[in-house]
Order: sequence, then structure tokens, then C-alpha cells
Amino acid sequence: MTAVVEARGLGRTLALEPPVLLVADASFSIMAGSFTSIIGPSGCGKSSLLYLLGLLDRPTQGQLLVDGQDVTGLGGDARARIRLERFGFVFQFHFLLPELTALENVMLPMRRLGRLGNAAVRERAMSLLGDLALGEKVDRLPGQLSGGERQRVAIARALANDPAVILADEPTGSLDSVNSERVLATLHQLAREQARAVICVTHDSSIAASADTCIRMLDGRVVAMG
Amino acid sequence: MSGRLGLLAGLAAKQVAMRRRQTLVAVSGVAVGVGFFLAVSAMMIGSQADFIRTLIDAAPHIIISDELRSPPPQPGAVAYTGGAIAIRHQKARTEARGLKDWQEILRAVDEVPGAIGSPSLTGGLTLRLGGREEAIALIGVEPDIESKVSTVEDNLRVGRLRDLQTVPGGLIVGEDLAQRMGLQVGDVVGATTAGGARTLRIVGLFKKGRGQLSSASGYVLLREAQSVLGRPFVVNRIGVKLVDPYQSQEVAGRLEKRFGYKAESWQERSADFLSLLVTRNVIMYSVVSAILLVASFGIYTVVSTSVADKVRDIAILRSIGFSEGDLQLVFVIEGVALALIGVVLGWMLGYGLMAILGSLRFPIAGEDQTLPLDRSARQYAVAAAASLLSAVVAAWLPARKASRVDPVDILRSAA
Repeated sequence: MTAVVEARGLGRTLALEPPVLLVADASFSIMAGSFTSIIGPSGCGKSSLLYLLGLLDRPTQGQLLVDGQDVTGLGGDARARIRLERFGFVFQFHFLLPELTALENVMLPMRRLGRLGNAAVRERAMSLLGDLALGEKVDRLPGQLSGGERQRVAIARALANDPAVILADEPTGSLDSVNSERVLATLHQLAREQARAVICVTHDSSIAASADTCIRMLDGRVVAMG
Repeated sequence: MSGRLGLLAGLAAKQVAMRRRQTLVAVSGVAVGVGFFLAVSAMMIGSQADFIRTLIDAAPHIIISDELRSPPPQPGAVAYTGGAIAIRHQKARTEARGLKDWQEILRAVDEVPGAIGSPSLTGGLTLRLGGREEAIALIGVEPDIESKVSTVEDNLRVGRLRDLQTVPGGLIVGEDLAQRMGLQVGDVVGATTAGGARTLRIVGLFKKGRGQLSSASGYVLLREAQSVLGRPFVVNRIGVKLVDPYQSQEVAGRLEKRFGYKAESWQERSADFLSLLVTRNVIMYSVVSAILLVASFGIYTVVSTSVADKVRDIAILRSIGFSEGDLQLVFVIEGVALALIGVVLGWMLGYGLMAILGSLRFPIAGEDQTLPLDRSARQYAVAAAASLLSAVVAAWLPARKASRVDPVDILRSAA
């Protein structure tokens, strides 16, 4: 079984004077159906590592493999394509487009991918939102939804193109405990039942404890795994 | 691909709908630009067309006269070209004036499809009534042909050119001249030439204010002129009218080459006016393109603030998997959409302005005249094309910024 995402000595340095090290020498594999958490104090480089894994940022050292393919040197359009097809992001702040309704937000990645017809796109978006108990609120704008609801819309959008990897950056960071539990349970379910790789950046040790693998970081370096 | 464009256009449309006030400013900028472009160019092109029409119709398209552009070469110089001795400052023999073989020329003119040639004889003559004397240019014509070739007929206030054929010794003069001499239609007037004296009868009058025609010309039958001027069978001018006046130069060149006589096209006669028109067009198009350019500044501003306001959304779209090109396109489409709305409104404005301009009446020389306007669809197309092109550039410049937004920077600062 090949790793969905594999980092080989991955590093990122900002070319400032003096150079700022964000991530150094990270090596690990992430398997389908696993829940991986990246934990560490703020500023330790865990979000930077997530952006590297999600092809939002380019590494300055090392290699990154997605589905066994080296994607380190790919151009912007090819990287955008991989993000579109293989990855789904969930951020701390919901990051929905404010002018679009919940349904339109979820339809967006599918319409960009263009594999499904309009009716099928709408149907899939409805069913994703229904699975997350948002069936009643599909036509609301993000401003008309609660924080927990918005975060679930964001998860539905991340799932739109049936990605292999869900990348979550402090997904529960701005939610109350009830909603946190719910979002977390959903993420676990995605890994366990739908065999997706879930990578979750957090500073909440209880989330880390529930993960299959926990990558602990300090000052840009991976200090412990397991 | 069309699905992608549709999606990006949909996102752009949301942008446009979001910022109503700025959209309104940018759109009205384009609309005013397009509207005034249409109004100004309609007037300029319309008046130019009117002017050229006047130039073309003022006289026959081509005038062949019994003049030579340069004296004919000496037979000796032709026989011994490159000889050791060159002949200079020779005196040309005085030749009898008039177009030799004018029937031949006329036949050559008639061979050009649709062309009509009208022979005429011009000469000096003095009209005399009592103690008054007026020197005029006497022009002898064939009325049937001349009325087809020139606009002389249109300038008649009283009578018709054909009346020359029915009244023996008939003469048509201008109202100005008739007034000066106290003549009216039907009056008889004495005419003196180098060859003798006789009487002519006024059968028609040209309208006032037509320059030479109404103050110092007189039209008679060609036969009459030949007899009065003592030059039987002579013709010294052939006026040619063509179907397409823009072929005049070419046809004139051919005729001149074949017969040697000076054949002057209307373009040659009015070269100074035509170059004036070129200058006028350059001025107009620079002023009007400045208007359109300024209108595109509005689009630049809107798209530019749009990009600045939407960096967060740009980062979201990038994280979802939209490419740099996608985002650039969203904002270019936004700019083009603004321009499109502006163009449509501008068309309506321009149409309205033209309707107002077209309804204005100006009294010139006692007659109400309207502004000559060119309302062709071509101007609408030119205005739209120019606006859209400048909008693409104006939107593309700030849109590049959208594609350069680094999503990581935005995500980091939000976290």
C-alpha cells in the first residue's frame, strides 16, 4: 500500500535576512484511512508544514510525493489541479465565500473540476450538506449560519471532489466544545469509514491523543512521531 | 472549458453586484465616453462625407481641358535622344487652342463603363445693355448631356437647361448678374466678342450666392457658343462623370496618357481640402480616444480595489484548487463586464445625442439646414471595440495582482 502523501526531508526557509526557518527536514508517510495530527506550540511551524503538504506552499528543501508521484517541481497549474482533485482544506476560520450560499460554496470545487453535470453537482452538494445535518440551511449565506454550521459547510466543501486527503488547520479552534466534538467526530468518521487520509493541525492535546499518528513539532522540526 | 468560463463569469458577476456605487461610476464613465464618441464622430464623419460630396459634385469628376502639362518635345530631341547637343529654351509654335480629335476623346470616355462625357466650349464675352457692360465666361454645352454630368441644373432658380434648345439664342445667367444689369427672364441682351456682336435672350437664372456661376457665367447651346465665339466645331473642355467618383484619378491618368491633354480629377483639384480632412480626423480621433482612455481609468480603479478587497476570497479559491490564471480571468471578466454595460448604455446615450443633434435646424443662406450626421453601425462597432479593448488592458493590469496573491500569506495572517 503506497502512502497518499509522503514527505522526504521536507523543509521551508523564508529567504529573509537572516533566513527564517519554518520547517526543516520533515520525513514521514501518510496512509489512506489514517488520522494524523500535527501538534506543537504556536509558531512551531505546524501550519507551514500543512501548507507544504497541501501544495499551497513550495518547499525549499526535500521532496514531496502525492500518490507516489514526485510533485516537488510541478508548475502552478498542475499543483492547482492536484489541490482540486486530491485535497480538501478545512481552516480554523470557516473561509467560505461570503456572497455565495452554503450550497453554492459546496458546489464551487465540483463546478471548477467540471466532471459532473449541473444537476449532479447540485445533488451531490445537497447530499453532502444533508450528511452534515445542514439539509435545511443550504440556501443560507455564511453570514446567516452559526460558527459550527459554517465549519460543517467548509467540511462539505472540502469533500466535494471526493478528495483522498483532508487537510484541517485548527478546525475546532474557534468552536465551542459541543461543536468541536461534532466536527472532530466527523473528521474521524471520514478517515475510518471513507478511508480518507485526515491531517489535522492542532494545539489541543485531546485531539492529538485521539489520532492514529501524532507528529509533534518544535521550532520547525519534527521532534516525535507515534 | 465553457463551464469554467461560466463559473468564473458567475464569480465576476457577484463582484459587480457587490459594489454598486463603484460599478455605477465606472459604467457611467464608459457610457459617457462611448456616447460622446458616437456623437462627435457622427458629426465629423457626416460633415466630411457631406463636404466631399460637395467637392465631388461641384464640377465633373474629371475635366479634360485643352492644356498640356508640359510643352510637347521637339521632334529633333525625340529622334536623337542622348545626342551630343541638347536643345534648350526653344519657342513652342503657337497652336490653335481647342481639343483636337475631341470626338475621339469622347468615344474613349464612353468606353469606360457608366462614364458620361460632356463636351463644352468656354470663352470670354461681354454682355451689354444700354450703358452697362459685364464680362462673363460663356460656356456652350449640350444641355441633355451636361445635366447628367454636372449639378448646374440643380442651381437653377428659374428655367431649365433644356430651354436653351427651344429658344434660339437662349442664355442662362446668374441672379446676381441679372440684378446688376437689371435683366429678367425673357429680356434680350447684346453680346460682344472679338468676332462681332449679336443678341441673346435670357431663358433661365441661377440661384444667388453660387460664386462664379451666379455672378459671371453664362450658359448657351454648344453650337451657339461656337458661333458666337467664332470657333466652329471647336470644343475646349470635356467634363466626365463616373459611376464611382473614387476611380477618377485612375481614369484621368489613363485619358491623359492616351491623348496628352490635361485631365484633372476632383482629387487633384481639391488636394488641399483633402489633406485638411486628414488633419481633422487625426484631431478628432485623438480627442475621442482620450475620452475612452479616461473611461478605462474607472475600470482600472474598480478592478484594483476589487482585488485588494478580495485577497481573502482569492486565497480561499486558490486553496480549493483554482489556478492563478482562473483568478486573473475572474477580474478581467469583471472589468469587461463593466465595459459591456457601459457600452450598451453609451450606445443609447449616443443614439439620443444624435437624435438631438439631428433635430437641430440652422438657417444658412436663407435655407434651414440640418447637421450632416453619419449614423452608420460601423461607428457603434468601433466605439464598442475600442472600449472593450481598453477595458481588457485596464482590468488585466490589476488582475495580475490577483494571480500573484500568495494564499499562504493570507491564511497565515488570518490564523
